[in-house]
Amino acid sequence: MSERSIDIRGRSVWLYEDGDGPPLVYLHGFPDFLGAWAEPLPFHRDLAKGFKMIAPAHPGCSNSDEDDDMEAVEDVVFHYLEVFDTLQLDRFNLVGSDIGGWFAAEIAVRHPEMIEKLALVGATGLFIPGEPIADLFWESHPSDGVSLAGLRALMFGDAEQPIARDFFPDGRGEIEQELLRYKTFRLASRIGFNPPYLHHRRLRDRLHRFKGPALIMHGADDRLVPRSHAEAYASGFPAAQLEIIDGAGHSPHLEKPDQTAKLLHKFLSGEA
Amino acid sequence: MHPVELHCWHFMSYPYLPDDFDEKYDTGWVTVPNKLWDREKTDGLYQEYIDQLVYGEELGFDGLVLNEHHQNIYGLMPSPNIIAAALTQRTSKAKIVVLGNLLPLHQNPLRVAEEYAMIDSITGGRLVAGFAVGGGPEAYNYQVSSPKARRQFWEGVDLIVRAWTEEGPFEHEGHHYPLRYANIWPKPRQTPHPPVWIPGALSVETTHEVAKRGFDYFLSSRTHGSATRMAREQFATVLTEHGDRYHPFRFGVLISVYVAETDEQARAESQEGIWYFLKNCLKGHLRKTGRTLTFGAGVPSQSVKSWESYLKHSTPGAEMLGDANTWEELDSKASIIVGSPATVLQKFWDLIEEAQIGRFLIQFHFGNMKPELARKSMKLFAEQVAPTLRKDSAELFARQYPQLEERAELGAGE
Repeated sequence: MSERSIDIRGRSVWLYEDGDGPPLVYLHGFPDFLGAWAEPLPFHRDLAKGFKMIAPAHPGCSNSDEDDDMEAVEDVVFHYLEVFDTLQLDRFNLVGSDIGGWFAAEIAVRHPEMIEKLALVGATGLFIPGEPIADLFWESHPSDGVSLAGLRALMFGDAEQPIARDFFPDGRGEIEQELLRYKTFRLASRIGFNPPYLHHRRLRDRLHRFKGPALIMHGADDRLVPRSHAEAYASGFPAAQLEIIDGAGHSPHLEKPDQTAKLLHKFLSGEA
Repeated sequence: MHPVELHCWHFMSYPYLPDDFDEKYDTGWVTVPNKLWDREKTDGLYQEYIDQLVYGEELGFDGLVLNEHHQNIYGLMPSPNIIAAALTQRTSKAKIVVLGNLLPLHQNPLRVAEEYAMIDSITGGRLVAGFAVGGGPEAYNYQVSSPKARRQFWEGVDLIVRAWTEEGPFEHEGHHYPLRYANIWPKPRQTPHPPVWIPGALSVETTHEVAKRGFDYFLSSRTHGSATRMAREQFATVLTEHGDRYHPFRFGVLISVYVAETDEQARAESQEGIWYFLKNCLKGHLRKTGRTLTFGAGVPSQSVKSWESYLKHSTPGAEMLGDANTWEELDSKASIIVGSPATVLQKFWDLIEEAQIGRFLIQFHFGNMKPELARKSMKLFAEQVAPTLRKDSAELFARQYPQLEERAELGAGE
């Protein structure tokens, strides 16, 4: 594994790379490595086996420069087109979790020719009338000044399991960790606060444009993104399969890392 | 001579909450259910609040201060300009100080430029124009993306000042508010334009933006004592960096007061209203109990650098103004001054001497306080506190800021 930064038209983008094989781009989410956690987790190490995995930190996240002009998910898509050009990636597997799943879907519907296979884990991004994405912004305000139980409950099936507590401790966590979280909220708020929350109204109608293989993974107890969103992704992409992960909430990659990585490998290596 | 300016501030809070409000609800903002609004009891409520402000002019206060809040029990002025319009017809001397219109909540800042120009024109130039970004509750109320709000805000402010001062029509090639034809009718009465006051809560970024434009600053953080002095020193330093000089009329503070005949009486009379204000109105804003929306990762308006500094210098779950449980605790926070005229005079004087403040924006009415008590407090302040404060401060400022004497009028752009 290695970490480095690359320059995209004067802005620095932080990349984590691991493994060897066909290219796989991993777009992180909020409860994730680079989104709220500084180190790669077992899931990421597993995912990289048999692939050359490239995980960039989104603009403003981790050590990537913030882009003050970034206003909408469209800007994120163009940012990634620049990143792919710079890395000379013209066809690759694309995996995204949470908001990273949203970005991956937006890229796939615009440039289906670039994507070998697409996998989304707990992806936001869709608007389903009457089935809103829950308010993670609101829940990031601790109740009684200290408790993040509400945020943990949106991010994990079992809100009080150790990894949930590690990610979002009550009171004050390590400054570095708090800053990682804050940076991701800056990006999420820029592109996903209005309309509420974290979606693009037109995306659902565009899903048909990506005709390649797609895997939609969703925690059975996800309280941030309703299951209907995963179902809409699965029915919107012409060649998609849906996997509901039992015993997981919004973060199957953290709550069921082995199972999630295995399903991804099976899908990506064509044994699905 | 330039005596200290004394302005009468009103929040127009909702006074009819049930007694168990604090137990039952975790915030008085954004999600506080509006089934609690009583359509009948509120008959005449706005009229009473407007009358209190008009009384402020009768008592000789320099200005009447309005503010914008939405979907909350703390302040019932979603549109302060409507109250300002009412005041134009009931007053003739006092400044009408709107602190301020929350620009990111408006689709087009020209509308604010127009409404402020109307108020200024109707009153023959009595408007003080305030602009504010809005905080956490406003982000949720109007779905404002916080990281973009400040840039949007300053573009809006600059567009408004340009619309007031430059010949129209002109094109505004803005990022957030691009306009082909900016050409407002009416223009404001005051030249070059009404004074501009900008509230801040100790953000260095804001003081720089204020200083750069020659506007005046007012501290809305409700922290007083040495914190006020430090804020003034910081603002003065920033002014110097921008080639400007501090004087007391560049800076104001929001301060809450209750005056009665004696200290004991002041405390007895104000208790109910003050506790209502602290426990209910500040819940969701300046109380750790429940859910404080004012700032936080969910409304990330501050730069990463400012947030880092905040994290390093704050304690999670620290008590805020509304968390005080006894009068002694409340007293120690120096945010609400309660006492006899002599006590209040002394505390104001300490603040003037320590922090060199020229503008006090004074909240007299708290939560569900009976109107007659708020009026009595205003009257005692006007008659037994204000005269000495004015006289002594004028002398102090004349000694310390001789440059003031060379200026006829103080305000924006100086």
